[in-house]
Amino acid sequence: MSLLEVHDLHASVNGEPILRNLSLRVETGEIHAIMGPNGSGKSTLANVLAGRPGYEVTAGQVSFNGAGLTGLEPEARAQAGLFLAFQYPVEIPGLSNMEFLKAAWDSHRAAQGAQPESAVSFMKRARALAKSLELNPEFLKRGVNEGFSGGEKKRNEILQLLLLEPKLAVLDETDSGLDIDALQTVAAGINRFCSADTGVLLITHYQRLLNHIVPDRVHVLSEGRIVASGDRHLAEKLEAEGYAWLSD
Amino acid sequence: MAALSSLEAPPWLGAEGLTRCRRALGGKLVRETWKYSPLPKVTDALIQTDVHQDPPVEALPPEAALHRFDELDAPPQFGIDLNRYPLAGIAAARAGTGWLIKVERTPSHPLRLAAPSLGVSAPVLLQVAPGCRVDIEQEAAEAASEGGLGAQVLVLSLGPDSEATCATAELASSVDRWSLLQVHLQRNAALTLNHQCTVGNFQRQDLNVALAGEGARLSSVGAALIQEGGRLDQQVVIEHASRGTVSRIKQHNLAAGRSRCTFNGRIHIHPGAAGADADLSNRNLALDSSAEVNTKPELEIYNDDVRCAHGATVGQLDAEVLFYLLSRGLGPQQAQRLLSLGFLRDGLAGPFAERAATAFAAHFMSA
Repeated sequence: MSLLEVHDLHASVNGEPILRNLSLRVETGEIHAIMGPNGSGKSTLANVLAGRPGYEVTAGQVSFNGAGLTGLEPEARAQAGLFLAFQYPVEIPGLSNMEFLKAAWDSHRAAQGAQPESAVSFMKRARALAKSLELNPEFLKRGVNEGFSGGEKKRNEILQLLLLEPKLAVLDETDSGLDIDALQTVAAGINRFCSADTGVLLITHYQRLLNHIVPDRVHVLSEGRIVASGDRHLAEKLEAEGYAWLSD
Repeated sequence: MAALSSLEAPPWLGAEGLTRCRRALGGKLVRETWKYSPLPKVTDALIQTDVHQDPPVEALPPEAALHRFDELDAPPQFGIDLNRYPLAGIAAARAGTGWLIKVERTPSHPLRLAAPSLGVSAPVLLQVAPGCRVDIEQEAAEAASEGGLGAQVLVLSLGPDSEATCATAELASSVDRWSLLQVHLQRNAALTLNHQCTVGNFQRQDLNVALAGEGARLSSVGAALIQEGGRLDQQVVIEHASRGTVSRIKQHNLAAGRSRCTFNGRIHIHPGAAGADADLSNRNLALDSSAEVNTKPELEIYNDDVRCAHGATVGQLDAEVLFYLLSRGLGPQQAQRLLSLGFLRDGLAGPFAERAATAFAAHFMSA
């Protein structure tokens, strides 16, 4: 049983077909990179998997951990272990990061029939993880992403990834807007998440993130379908030659 | 049963003042500002309800002095525009007296004003001497029973280079309330206002701030939760009358089902107010389509050398933000609750902020 299996997926956004006949399989322990030019459907794939309203699956199947995914509400997908790191994390003034994270974690625990973790234990864990991501623990008291720089928002996404312990991380251009140091910190966080029990779908434009996170498979998306797949060397070829050769 | 015509004006209001109030009640200005609220009902309640003549302070610091109006040699001047606020004159006539609080030196403790939940309170004039700093706190008591009207007139007069904070909270409101807060700031005086309330019945809140002296500054942050079926009507007038005056208004209102929320905020920049800097923001969140929100920010500017910004938003929860929470495993109800609370908390500040946050949270937990 695959962790994620996408079969002949077609999806539309606002009635416009974006994904066409897309198939993909991610096993536990694997890191898959999705690359492709602007408008190829990378973020659409991420949002379809997370169940964002307005992203409609028109044909095909998606199974996650052996169960159908497309019929589930977004929160049920998250509770089942699917995590989407947003390309543009939202700011929520008035709702503290810590309160939000604790509520999210409690929801995950409740879905598994577990009691909530004590606030003290959770806060200790959250602070330690924030430090490891070079995110000032004081940020946990502030509104979610409120006044955070682009890099801090992305680190906060990785903090959530590590705290919520999902099975599959879908990272939508998590490397965009990061300087070199922040990129290394975020990459270290993602590598920390990777294990024999988890999987990663890494959406990126650039090879630079893949210098720090070595993918098992690289796929190229174009016009809503995967047009090439290969190992890490495919990403290096794309970096050197661009996407034009794929349509030759 | 008492009637409007039978009211007697106290000496410091004068028969002429009371007559002006009676006339103003039917005037265009008052009709316009009471468009969304039941003026006749509030006026009747104001005339019928009990009067409080008790001292208006729960704790009077030794640096302040309290005087009853009828014990003073000369009546103090309130400076209220009775054509705009005739209910202030009616309330004053009902009370028969008023209270003067003089802060001559900076108190070491906050000055806590009493806030009876029901009845007409005698008007209070609080004068802060030049260079003094005072923290004013007022928390409305919980009403023993539902129904009735609570009415209050508070006038703050801040001397040159003085500074005041004024924090008010009405977090257990099951009665109708009408209040007027009038503020007069002289040169370089500064006022910070924080107001938090839950509205279960009807509340009309009038705020009039005159930035009269050069460099006078106002900062006001407020949040209101209008409960199911509640009515809130906030009328704000900020007068920038001198050079270099600054005002910042931020008001967050959340309207639950079948409630109505009105906010009218007017910034008036006078000809002599060069360099004035005004920013007024009113954000409203309607929890469902049965809630009604009316908001009108107004600018009246008679000087070219000013900076003015105003904005009003009315909306429901942002779908993008809601999805963010859902994508982290929170259910729709819990996500809505957290976002609603977050919206209100963003309008909380001052000494009652934590208590207000708790009261708001309790509301959503029981909803």
